[in-house]
Amino acid sequence: MDQFIQIVIGGLLQGSVFAIVALGYSLVYRVTGIINLSQGAFCILGALLTYSLDQTFGWPVALAAVGAAAMTALVGLAIGAAVFVPALSRLPISSMLILSAGLLTLMEGLALVVWGSQPYALPSFSGEAPIEFFGVRMTTQGFWIAGTAALIIFGLWYLLMKSAAGKALRACAENPLAARLMGIDVPRVTLASFALAAFIGGLGGIVVGPITSLQFDTGRFFTIFGFIAVAIGGLGSFLGAVVGGLLLGVVLQLAAGYVSSLFANSLAFGLLLVVLLWRPNGLFASGLARRTDVREEQRIYPPIVRLQGRGALILGVVAVLAAIALPALEPSASVMSSLVITCILFVALLGLDIVMGYAGQVSLGQAGFMAIGGYAAALLATNYGWSPLAGCAAGMLLSVACAALLSLFTMRLRGNYLALATLAFGLLVDSFAVGLTEVTGGPSGLTGIPSFALGPLVFDTSIKMYYLLIALIVVLVLLLLGGVRSAFGRALQAVRTDQTAAGALGINVARYKLIALCISAALASLAGSLYAFYFHFLSPDMVGTPRSLELLAMLVLGGEGTLLGPLLGAALLTLLPTIIQPLAAYKTLATGALLVLAVRYLPGGIFGAAAERLRRLFAARGTSSSKAEGR
Amino acid sequence: MSAAALEVVDLCKTFGGLRAVDSVSFNVPSGSLTALIGPNGAGKTTVFNLITNFFRPDTGEVRYFGASLTGLEPGRIAALGLVRTFQSARIFPGMTTLENALVGAHLQVRAGPLRQMFWSGQSRREERALIRRAEALLELVGLSAERQVPATELPMGAQKLLEVVRALMARPRLLLLDEPAAGLNDSETAELAALLRAVRANNITVAVVEHNMSLVMGVADQVVVLDAGKLLASGTPAQMQSDARVIEAYIGQDEGAADA
Ligand SMILES: Nc1ncnc2c1ncn2[C@@H]1O[C@H](COP(=O)(O)OP(=O)(O)OP(=O)(O)O)[C@@H](O)[C@H]1O
Ligand SMILES: [Mg+2]
Repeated sequence: MDQFIQIVIGGLLQGSVFAIVALGYSLVYRVTGIINLSQGAFCILGALLTYSLDQTFGWPVALAAVGAAAMTALVGLAIGAAVFVPALSRLPISSMLILSAGLLTLMEGLALVVWGSQPYALPSFSGEAPIEFFGVRMTTQGFWIAGTAALIIFGLWYLLMKSAAGKALRACAENPLAARLMGIDVPRVTLASFALAAFIGGLGGIVVGPITSLQFDTGRFFTIFGFIAVAIGGLGSFLGAVVGGLLLGVVLQLAAGYVSSLFANSLAFGLLLVVLLWRPNGLFASGLARRTDVREEQRIYPPIVRLQGRGALILGVVAVLAAIALPALEPSASVMSSLVITCILFVALLGLDIVMGYAGQVSLGQAGFMAIGGYAAALLATNYGWSPLAGCAAGMLLSVACAALLSLFTMRLRGNYLALATLAFGLLVDSFAVGLTEVTGGPSGLTGIPSFALGPLVFDTSIKMYYLLIALIVVLVLLLLGGVRSAFGRALQAVRTDQTAAGALGINVARYKLIALCISAALASLAGSLYAFYFHFLSPDMVGTPRSLELLAMLVLGGEGTLLGPLLGAALLTLLPTIIQPLAAYKTLATGALLVLAVRYLPGGIFGAAAERLRRLFAARGTSSSKAEGR
Repeated sequence: MSAAALEVVDLCKTFGGLRAVDSVSFNVPSGSLTALIGPNGAGKTTVFNLITNFFRPDTGEVRYFGASLTGLEPGRIAALGLVRTFQSARIFPGMTTLENALVGAHLQVRAGPLRQMFWSGQSRREERALIRRAEALLELVGLSAERQVPATELPMGAQKLLEVVRALMARPRLLLLDEPAAGLNDSETAELAALLRAVRANNITVAVVEHNMSLVMGVADQVVVLDAGKLLASGTPAQMQSDARVIEAYIGQDEGAADA
């Protein structure tokens, strides 16, 4: 019984932090309609700043905490003013989500550069000695956490419900247009709420710091569990955020205490899916209803770029010939290996482009499918004597089955939720890869995987693997081109930008989302299998969530909806750090920064910009040669 | 059997306290061109949304060539040949004019995604045939020069015409158009009128919400007048033009809006 109470108290403490993060989510969501994935990064920023001020600069811990919270708010203000708020009025919601994922990566990269990858621990605010309380032992830090959470909840409630600033904020949430007409400076209120959410997140991270292991990428943990909390409670509802957070904390601690932490993670994910299915608006729907038959203001969608006709054909043939000739330059072993990795990732990116670029469904769990394909094929080939090809096929089938199951849950939901369900899915696969030690080898990975082979043909060198991949890619690109340039691709693009209008034309929106997700899962899975066969080794961090975010960056940087563009993104982010070694430490930072910049300033990515140039050039030539063509 | 293409029976819809549509009943005879008119906020768009099940009606029923549409998904309704356009032209951004038109033919395509991926002969032939048909329709509304232009770069009037073309690509039996002439200049309006006549000549039934009276009077067989959610009157264009209640509803409203 004592143990039970102990666990519940532990759960409530952890839950109050989830609640704090969830409140940040709700605040930003209410004002902007955006789920801000960088929310969790502010927690870790606050905690690590406290560590540095306390340990490195010798400030007393209380002062360090206050200083760190203030600095976090300032960072939030800066990011909000420079990136988030200006982008808000221009980008569609799916792009805003990607932007916030980019901000998360950017802040992780920054933390990696400043603090390195080792774990940190904050000292308790008031000593380590626990207090006995009717036979229940509690650390004093627990009181700090509970007190701060209560203070934040009360403060936020007072601010929103009782103050003039809160009225303005609520007006923006309910009807931005009317609020603007009433003379409220909507961008300023938006910025204020973004910075306030950062401040709250920072505080949460600071108080929970002493009982958490802090690493540069722990923010992701807060982001996902805070989101699960807010989805359970109901996006935009403040009561829901608090209840959802506490509930999640208790459930997680109970599951971890009585079963295992692997089970706890799966349970959290399961809880999210059940709530999404049973009450898509959460337990405490905020009652915000917006008209759906009128269109919101026009947002700028990245164009679907296509090169057509003879020019495209020539360009394609030249590109393939160049790729075939490339090894003749005798690149070093590491560059050759990077080329192979680029090609493997491109296979996964082709799938991601179908689901994201064409169908407009943000997927943040692409690496989860890579992991399924990688582990399935590797295990079958290593332990059960399957041929690598059969292993790949089995992995693809399994991945498609998972994707179908996933979309069963997310079918009725709009973009945001699918994205977060895929993120949760990726993390779940991650936790299985780490937790099922007997099967997957746990964190130290799976070794002794054979090379890929087609009958007697064994692909055991980089060069052989490279040519195999070139052939595979040519076939895949031709197939997908046939699809996206026909009714199939048009249906996907219609779903991407306007599901209502697509439905009115008889396009089965759910079906096309499902097909796109399955294609992307199959290709990611294939890429994961090839990855394992190439390295003869597979570990969870090769196919974890950072990989998903990296793929996202490669896609957006290379160009969404271009099929070929992602190759440029993959090459850039894979080859550059190999060729210029000192860059490796900045890779995460650069990935995040490039992702943010590309979403914001380069719709269509590098490929899109280049193709547009070419199109203009040809159009100009066309008009000068035949004046009849007009324009 | 020239039964009604559409029977709207006693439709009601309230939003909060507002009775947006209040027991409205009317018929659209097969092969006719019926205009739905009424002052702003009368509930015309809401009636369209109820017919195509974008909103579920509180009470009432819609029958389409005799069969009830209750509970059908908008996509299923489109598959039955009942196709609509939107008041705010909802063309798909990121696609060209021609591609937007082709999306309308989605349900006409027989070759499945796999055949399309394998560049099958059937799929290529179908594609070419669709392109020919789309180009012919674009020609009819004067948009063929812009067929490779990103559709969002078209002026508003052209976007609305494109939306009508897109709906026609679906080979509808009954076409619902929500204010197709809004934002069109005079020559575009003339093209629209010609298109509407051509559509009716092809035996496609049309119901159109429209504020442009000269267009309505020129092409409609029947006019249905809504005011404040209620059915005010219905009859031939000539009857409506001289109906005192209709004139009053419009004048009461038009005095303020005349200059706008
Ligand atoms: N989804 C909705 N939620 C709340 N109110 C709505 C909704 N849809 C329509 N209304 C209200 O119902 C009434 C009728 O609207 P509707 O759009 O059908 O009018 P309309 O006749 O099409 O007018 P207009 O000529 O301006 O297009 C209006 O008062 C409108 O505000
Ligand atoms: Mg209307």
